[in-house]
Amino acid sequence: METTLLGRQGAVLSLEQRDDGRLWAIRGDEERAVWVRRCFPWSEPGRYLSLRDGDENEFALVRDPAELDASSRDALEAALALAGFVFEITRVLEIEEEVEIRRWRVETRQGARSFQTRLDDWPRALPHGGLLIRDVTGDLYHLGRPAALDRHSRALLWAFVD
Amino acid sequence: MSTLEHLDDQIIGRYLDQPLRLPADLRRQIEAAWEGAPVQLYALADLDQALRLVESWVALGPRHVAVARRTAAGTWDVASVERARIEAVREAPGLSANTLTLLGAPGEPALVLVRYTHRQRRAFENIRFVVEEQLEGREIAPVDPDRAYADGVARPVREAQAVVSGREVAVIRRLLGYLKPYRRPLALGMTAAALITVVSLVPPYLAGYLIDRVVRPAREGTLPLGRAGTIAWLAVAAMALVYVIRQGAAVVRLRLMAILGEWVARDLRAELYEHIQRLSLAFFSRKRTGSLITRVSADTDRLWDFLAFGVVDVSLSLVMLAGLGAVLLSLDWRLGLAMTLPVPVFCWLIYRHGESINRLFIRAWRKWSRVSDVLSDTIPGIRVVKAFNQEEREIRRFGERNEDVTAEFNRIHETWTTFWPLLMLAVHGTTVVVWALALPRLLGGGTALPVGTFVSFLLYTTMFIGPIEVIGQIARTMNRATTSAHRVFEVLDTEPEVRDDPEPVQLRPVHGRVTFEHVTFGYDGVRQVLRGVSFDVTPGELIGLVGPSGGGKTTIVNLIARFYDVTGGAIRIDGVDVRRLDTGQYRRQLGMVLQDPYLFHGTILENIRYGLPEASLGEAIAAAQAANAHDFVTKLQHGYDTVVGERGHTLSGGERQRVSIARAILHDPRILILDEATSSVDTETEREIQEALERLIKGRTVFAIAHRLSTLRKASRLFVIEDGRLVEHGTHHELLQKPDGKYRRLYELQLQLQ
Repeated sequence: METTLLGRQGAVLSLEQRDDGRLWAIRGDEERAVWVRRCFPWSEPGRYLSLRDGDENEFALVRDPAELDASSRDALEAALALAGFVFEITRVLEIEEEVEIRRWRVETRQGARSFQTRLDDWPRALPHGGLLIRDVTGDLYHLGRPAALDRHSRALLWAFVD
Repeated sequence: MSTLEHLDDQIIGRYLDQPLRLPADLRRQIEAAWEGAPVQLYALADLDQALRLVESWVALGPRHVAVARRTAAGTWDVASVERARIEAVREAPGLSANTLTLLGAPGEPALVLVRYTHRQRRAFENIRFVVEEQLEGREIAPVDPDRAYADGVARPVREAQAVVSGREVAVIRRLLGYLKPYRRPLALGMTAAALITVVSLVPPYLAGYLIDRVVRPAREGTLPLGRAGTIAWLAVAAMALVYVIRQGAAVVRLRLMAILGEWVARDLRAELYEHIQRLSLAFFSRKRTGSLITRVSADTDRLWDFLAFGVVDVSLSLVMLAGLGAVLLSLDWRLGLAMTLPVPVFCWLIYRHGESINRLFIRAWRKWSRVSDVLSDTIPGIRVVKAFNQEEREIRRFGERNEDVTAEFNRIHETWTTFWPLLMLAVHGTTVVVWALALPRLLGGGTALPVGTFVSFLLYTTMFIGPIEVIGQIARTMNRATTSAHRVFEVLDTEPEVRDDPEPVQLRPVHGRVTFEHVTFGYDGVRQVLRGVSFDVTPGELIGLVGPSGGGKTTIVNLIARFYDVTGGAIRIDGVDVRRLDTGQYRRQLGMVLQDPYLFHGTILENIRYGLPEASLGEAIAAAQAANAHDFVTKLQHGYDTVVGERGHTLSGGERQRVSIARAILHDPRILILDEATSSVDTETEREIQEALERLIKGRTVFAIAHRLSTLRKASRLFVIEDGRLVEHGTHHELLQKPDGKYRRLYELQLQLQ
């Protein structure tokens, strides 16, 4: 089954960021404020992007942003950066086990952060390498290349990396 | 401050790196800008527009919303917007960044646009909910903003963890408090253990004494042989006596402490189980069943182990090490130092080994969980595996993971099988050092060293190993015990949210009048599931509760059963506020038949008599007949003695339902709740159950929830519950007369589907 960005009506899709802070999708006479959800956030993050309206209905499915015009692509990329935001761990300072939770103290590109995971909630290995850690609140922490971290971080992470 | 509030503050302070409250200076600044109007809710927007971690706040007042951002100078830049200008609220969730947008008139720039992580999401949901309610023209009763914020932020950690780790010492002290009722056996056990320690020191001393004071003088001719023989035999007899005393004390110690540990574990289990039974349903919805079962079983067992052996072993090992050190130093301080100085190093090495093997275990457990994942996937889903012919693939997947975990466990084995022999080598090394230091002296060089003293010394050195091992494991032993204690104490420290009035009212009998007066209710935060519901049901009425899922129907019946207390308004039973009733006595007059009836492990008879164990066999059969259950029960090989429930005979959904109806009939409640009692059965079974229910409901006040509206035609009145409100009420016919009625629409929709 082939998916195209033209959507159901076959009209060209364009996107724009408006003053109300939202991404608007315009297709023919129809326009709607949408937000982006990646269909494959880890295996194919740049393609197959679902544009959903406030009621969670899919307005369009973008197979590849390259098929959009330049300004739409820019608007989409800004929205994608927001939708796909996760903390990027740059250093692991401490991993401690406590009663039923594991306490992590890390440095991320966004700043220093402490978070907690359940003891039985293990970091997930991603398809293209790297680890994804989900804390008890649902926030995600990405470790792109654990092997490239400093020695102390690697030693702390050893038990969690294959 | 309640325990929960205190706990939330502890969690935020200890784990979350964010303020416990809206900063006081900022609050003052915002309220001043609002001309004294109070902050009603607030949340921390912890991401800026560039998605960096920052501290910004969003505060909601009666007429305004304020966004405060910290300036470079450390002051607050506050921008307020009038709530009247808000026309829409949007929340866009992301993987870790969420955006809340408050929108004004179409085309106008967003009035407020803030970003935040999932950690702050509950606090923002509160704000969003209140603003949305305002847009719908509804007002929400104010809540304590500090409490709402702290609860929203701390809740995920609170629910994931037993309790915030307090000081280990305090937990251990509390645990030891459970030994208090058993002071006597404890004292006896400890005395026996101390005796073992002391008498263990005697045989090496006797060995040295015999060599230096008996054997050598006898050989040198300074002690007559006859006297030497007498002393020697006395010493051997003393040694035999020591061993008998030692083993006798060992029996006393092991038996007493093991039994005492069991008593304490029994007390803990009983206290825990009794407390669990008293806890409100809200607690059970927060905790996983498996976790609670583990606390009553595995955790109390682990505490038994700690109390029975850990406490004694650790304390006596410390005494033993100190005693040995003192004896060795007093025998010969030079050799004593050579032997005792390395002991702290050995303890440290064992501790380090424990730490490193712990890392190996974490890795192995992680891989073990991958093996379990395959099992828990494929065994329940075996039909899918077979249908898609994926057996080979699953065998391969399991095989790979099995190999992987085996390699990890082998790594653990390699580590400990290397460590312990090496440690023993080091211990023997100290013995070699002692020999090297002692030999010249034994041969006559330097300070004289009697042979007997040296032999005693060597025998004492062999006794070092056991205590060193225990001391090295002390951190792990304490850690395991405190973890279990935390989990057990958390349950014991949880207070039931539904509590009886100190002087409860007993309704004898309950007539069955149920009145809701402006009832509001929310399970958490400020989100209300019921909003101002009022009705008055007279005894004997059959009330059908209908409406879309999530509308609040089940909440209404949960409140009638007093599983929760209302957050606003009141529920009255025969005119008395349900919170003033004796809950136990009231619930004895209340029956429930649920969509998925739960039968306990036991016979059908026991299940039917669950609410009234003293009922006669005849009454049980009469109830089963009225429930249309008697026929199928008598067809079973073991009749009413058939064991059902977990691991028992499997009954079909309809059969279980009829047993549960028989249980309710025998219970003879004045108020009956039927929650989707016929929704999961086929048409014929439904007819039989319906028939049974009609017998059951006679003369009682009944609240029946049903999606199949046809089953409620005989209801005295129907209440249509939507979005937490009672939106329509009347008889089936009355409601069908309403041209734009919600019930009519639902009914017609169902007719079309049929």
